[in-house]
Amino acid sequence: MVCLARILDASSPLTPLFSHHNSRYHCKNVKSNVRWRLMSSSDPDASMYASSSSIDADLAGKNAAGFCIIEGPETVQDFDKMDIQEIQDNIRSRRNKIFLHMEEVRRLRIQQRIKSAELGISSDEQDNELPNFPSFIPFLPPLSSANLKQYYATCFSLISGIILFGGLLAPTLELKLGIGGTSYADFISSMHLPMQLSDVDPIVASFSGGAVGVISALMVVEINNVKQQEHKRCKYCLGTGYLACARCASTGAIVLIDPVASANGGNQPLSSPKTERCSNCSGAGKVMCPTCLCTGMAMASEHDPRIDPFD
Amino acid sequence: MSAALIWVVSPNSQLSSGLSLGSLETEEKRGCNRLSNIVSGKKDVVSSVVANPSGNLAISSEQLVYDVVLKQAALVKEQMRSRLEVEDVEVKPDVVLPGTLGLLNEAYDRCGEVCAEYAKTFYLGTLLMTPERRKAIWAIYVWCRRTDELVDGPNASHITPKALDRWESRLEDLYNGRPFDMLDAALSDTVSKFPVDIQPFKDMIDGMRMDLRKSRYQNFDELYLYCYYVAGTVGLMSVPIMGIAPESNAPTESVYNAALGLGIANQLTNILRDVGEDARRGRVYLPQDELAQAGLSDEDIFALKVTDKWRFFMKKQIKRARTFFDQAEEGVTQLSSASRWPVWASLLLYRQILDEIEANDYNNFTKRAYVSKPKKIVALPIAYAKSLVPPSSRNLVSN
Repeated sequence: MVCLARILDASSPLTPLFSHHNSRYHCKNVKSNVRWRLMSSSDPDASMYASSSSIDADLAGKNAAGFCIIEGPETVQDFDKMDIQEIQDNIRSRRNKIFLHMEEVRRLRIQQRIKSAELGISSDEQDNELPNFPSFIPFLPPLSSANLKQYYATCFSLISGIILFGGLLAPTLELKLGIGGTSYADFISSMHLPMQLSDVDPIVASFSGGAVGVISALMVVEINNVKQQEHKRCKYCLGTGYLACARCASTGAIVLIDPVASANGGNQPLSSPKTERCSNCSGAGKVMCPTCLCTGMAMASEHDPRIDPFD
Repeated sequence: MSAALIWVVSPNSQLSSGLSLGSLETEEKRGCNRLSNIVSGKKDVVSSVVANPSGNLAISSEQLVYDVVLKQAALVKEQMRSRLEVEDVEVKPDVVLPGTLGLLNEAYDRCGEVCAEYAKTFYLGTLLMTPERRKAIWAIYVWCRRTDELVDGPNASHITPKALDRWESRLEDLYNGRPFDMLDAALSDTVSKFPVDIQPFKDMIDGMRMDLRKSRYQNFDELYLYCYYVAGTVGLMSVPIMGIAPESNAPTESVYNAALGLGIANQLTNILRDVGEDARRGRVYLPQDELAQAGLSDEDIFALKVTDKWRFFMKKQIKRARTFFDQAEEGVTQLSSASRWPVWASLLLYRQILDEIEANDYNNFTKRAYVSKPKKIVALPIAYAKSLVPPSSRNLVSN
C-alpha cells in the first residue's frame, strides 16, 4: 500500500501543467498525495475512513474544479504549450494513475465490505453477483443464471414435442384414425395452385421451413438487442460522444473574411478564400457532449472509455 | 394569453414547468393590485415585505419575480416598437458555410428526438402546435433539460460552480449568434426568430446554482423563488413563442404573469407528486415552517408513512397549487388561436395529477400519481373546446 502511494507521489512532478494555470491545484494535489500516504500506511477504522474519504472527495472535487467538465474553446489549447515528448509522458503518467486508482478502489471496496459486515450494515449494491438482465426475446421474463436452467428445460421439451408430433403423432393419426392431414398434392389442388408445387421434396420443404423459422427468430433477437443498446446510449449525441461544432458547422475550418485588396491584382482572379482551424473545436469538427462526457453512454461511469474525436 | 407549455419531466428531474396562461384579472395599471391578487390567493403566504434574519427589510420573492415579469413585458413592447421604427442593425456574423442549413434542420430533429425520449406526453402535446413553434419549443426544452442534467443528471457529482459559469457564458455566446454546439445552434436560431429574452435563461442557471447549495426550504417564499427559477422561467420563455392573440386586449404583463403562474403550478404539482422520491434522495421541497405548523418534520417525511396530519397538510398544499392553476386558467384564452389547444391540454392534464394524488389517499411516498392514457385522450377534446373560446376584447375586471 505504501509503495502505491510512492508511485503516485513520484508521478506528480510530471504534472506541472495545472500549476501553470492554477497553482492552488498543484498545492492541493500534493496535499491529497500526503493524505493517501497517511491512509495507506495506517490501518483505518471505519469512522476515520469515512471522514477522511469525505474530505478526500471534497479535495478531489476541488482539484477537479481547476478542471471544468464543461468544455470551452481553451480546454484543449491548455495543453498546447507542451511538446510531444511532454505530452506523451503526461499521458503515460495519467494512465498509470488511473490504473493505480482503480486498484485502490477495488481494495477499498473490499475493506468496505468487511467493515460493513462487521458493523452489520447491509450493503445495497449487490452488483457483484450476476444481475437480472432482460431477455432479448420480447414478452419473456428476465434472465438470470437460475432462470437459465428453466429456459433450457422449456426449450428442450418444446423441440422434442414438436419432433414427436411431426414425426410420430401426425402420421399415426392419419394411419390409425384417418384423421390428420390431407396429402400435400390434395392440399395444393384444393387451393387451386399449380400442381408443380406439390412435387417439392419433403426434405427440402422441412429444411426451408426450419431455416425460415430460425432466421426470423434471429432477426427478432437482433432487433431487440439493438433496442436495448440504444436504450443505454446517450440520447443527445446518439452514442458518438460528440456534438457537431456550430462555429465551423462540423467542417473544422473557419473561412477568413478579411478583405482582400484587388487594386494591385488587376486582371488576376480572386484566390480561393483562406481558412484557418476552427478555434472552437480545434479542427476536430465536433465538441464534447456535456451530458455523457464523451462516453456515449446515458449513464456514464468511470469504466466507460472516453471516445476519441478522431474515430 | 400565454401559451401553456407543459413540461412532463422524468422522475429524477425537478425541472418541470408548465406554461399556463392565466391572466390575472386586475386593473391594468395597478401592479400592486396584481401582486395582492397573487397574495390573497394563498392563505399561508407571508406578507409581501419579509424581514430576513439580519433584520433588514427584504423584498419577498413574489415581488422580485413580479419585477422580472414586468421587465419581460416591457422588453417585448420595446422590441415591438423598435422593430417598427428602426432597421435592425446587422451584426456581422461568421460566414455561413454551405451545408449549415442542413445542420440546423438536423439539430432541430435531434431536439425533437430528445424531447420524445424524455417527455412523451409533452412531445405529443407539441405535435398540436404549428411546425415553427414546435421546433422552437423543442430547442428550448433541450436547453433546459441539458441545464437541469448538469446538476441532476448522471454526472452531477462532477459539476462545479465554474462549470455553471462556463455554461452561462455559452448561453451568452449563443445569444450573440455564436453557438458552441449544434444543440446550442438550434436555440440560437430560435431566439433569433422569436423575441425571447435572455433573462429567464440566466435565472434558470441561477436556480441550478441554488439547487447545488440547498436541499431545504424554510418557507413558501424560498420555495416560490425556487419554483420561479426552475419552472416559472420556462413560462416566460415560452410566451413569445406561443404568441399573444392580436385581438386580445389584456395587458402583456398579465399574460406573462399567467405563464409564470402556470409554471409555478406545474412545479408545485411535481413537488407534491414526487415527495417520496425526493425524500429517498434526502431532499424535501416543502416549506419547513408549514410542515412545523402541521406538526410534521423531516423525520415524518423520511418515514414514508401517510398519517392524518400528512393528509391535512397535503390538502392545504394541493389547494394552493390549484389556486395557481386557476389563475393560469383565467388567461389561457389570451394566446394566439393556434397555441391555445396545446396549452389548454397541458394545463388540464397536469392539473389532473393533483386529483390523482388525492385518489391515492395522499400517498405520494410510495405511489406515483399519474394520469392514465384514457383520461389523457379524453382531455384532448375538452381542451379543444376550451381553446375555441376567443380572447376577451375588453379589459377583464378583477374578482
